[in-house]
Amino acid sequence: MSRADALAPTIFGAGTLALLLGLWEYLGAGQGVALTSVLPPPSRFIATVAESGFRIGLGSQAAPLVQSVASTFFRVFAGMAIAFIAAIVTGAALSLSKVATWCLTPVLYVLAPIAPIAWIPTAIVVFGISNVTAVFIVFMGVYFILTIATLAEIRRLPEEFTTIAGNLGAGPAHRWFRVVLPAILPGVFTLLRTNFIAAWMAVLVAEMVGLRDGLGAIIMMGRNLFNNELIMFGMAIIGVSGFIVDRMLALIAARVLWWRI
Amino acid sequence: MVADLTVLAPSPEEPALKVDRLTVAFPGAGAAARSPIVDFSLEIALGEITCLLGPSGCGKTTLLRALGGFARAKDTGGVLFQGQWLKEPTPDIVMIFQENNLYPWLTVRRNVAFGLPYCEGTREEKRVRLEAMLRHVGLEAAADQYPRELSGGMRQRTAIARALVVNPKVLLLDEPFSALDVALRRRMQDLMRAIWETTRTTFVMVTHNVEEAIMVGHRVIVLGGRPMTVLLDERTEATPKDRYAPETLALQRRIEDLIE
Repeated sequence: MSRADALAPTIFGAGTLALLLGLWEYLGAGQGVALTSVLPPPSRFIATVAESGFRIGLGSQAAPLVQSVASTFFRVFAGMAIAFIAAIVTGAALSLSKVATWCLTPVLYVLAPIAPIAWIPTAIVVFGISNVTAVFIVFMGVYFILTIATLAEIRRLPEEFTTIAGNLGAGPAHRWFRVVLPAILPGVFTLLRTNFIAAWMAVLVAEMVGLRDGLGAIIMMGRNLFNNELIMFGMAIIGVSGFIVDRMLALIAARVLWWRI
Repeated sequence: MVADLTVLAPSPEEPALKVDRLTVAFPGAGAAARSPIVDFSLEIALGEITCLLGPSGCGKTTLLRALGGFARAKDTGGVLFQGQWLKEPTPDIVMIFQENNLYPWLTVRRNVAFGLPYCEGTREEKRVRLEAMLRHVGLEAAADQYPRELSGGMRQRTAIARALVVNPKVLLLDEPFSALDVALRRRMQDLMRAIWETTRTTFVMVTHNVEEAIMVGHRVIVLGGRPMTVLLDERTEATPKDRYAPETLALQRRIEDLIE
């Protein structure tokens, strides 16, 4: 594939995005148009937020935008990282015992489909309004599905992989850390990426209904202040940040965890 | 370099592996009747290349697994290795499988080096040994590539290098070249002989290719029947290592008739 061919999807994608933004700006340019007040185009909502120096909130309570982005990112990444490690540990432990797998698999399958959003009320009651709540919600959103994925990946491993390691003298711990773990990482990580959107949305909802900061809170603040520019700005930031994180995860999958079993 | 790789000179008195009234236990109920290996005995000579032939499903792979301690044997007999019953796999007897031999996340060099941490010797000795082995199988140029970038022949060469670098007494090969095309297969057979000339390790190779068995082996054993028995046990070191010599073709025909 030539360099031009490789760049084509990016060029077409960016072109379409630019075209839609241009159309939005064009339609929203006229004053007094209904669309302009409900869906203010980027030039307007960015200008409005820029007037307050990209600080979100009222008066002395206003916090820089960076802080909102940072809190949401921290919650999502902390929850996903803890869930990823915990799922691999649980999956590994379960793979050692058939009986434990039989006992816990139905539990996992019942808990996995519960949307992370559904955990919000319980989490707020138990942990209060804090980062722990948000991290817990993300964790619950991805942990069960990743545990199931870990078990499936371990079951899918070619028998030869561990047999060869044992044959060459590796003990149980080395067989696990040098063979099983690297063999399952790419598959589990792919599922983590797939479930990132669910985790991301759960945090945003939690920030809207309970927590007082983060990207989700920007939207709620815009709503309370009847500030459509702020709402639009929040939505745009959420879209762009989500896109960037997904690209980052895709890059990790392609560059760091690239092998397939 | 040659000295680095030599393990031991062949001494024909003591067999490398002695199969003594082996019955392989098959998992599941009523399995005894289905086990292909019942009360089976065989001696594998030290420092030789022994090739096992036979129709598919005759139990030759099961026998090979038993030779490596990978199959569950009944208490009535088993495989004797260095005077002991073989209970489990050991780094002294290394098996090479048909496929899935290499770890895709490791380069050729790191795949080959996989078993070195469990060997005796200093870091420097192991490093020298590793590089010598990579040169020996002709992979020094590909040492930093990943398995997905390799051809089928290079993959199996990597697997052979990884097995031999830990200095095993016996190398077991389960149809290692069956996925390769004819030309490559023949090059690998020549390479096997060349490696053996240097290391004099005991090789036991299962194959379904009669020509391959004659060309590579010092001894060809044809297995068949249920329960499995030795149908033919032929020394082939005197057979010309020329696939089109009349003696070679005659033996090949004799074995093919036997298998059918």
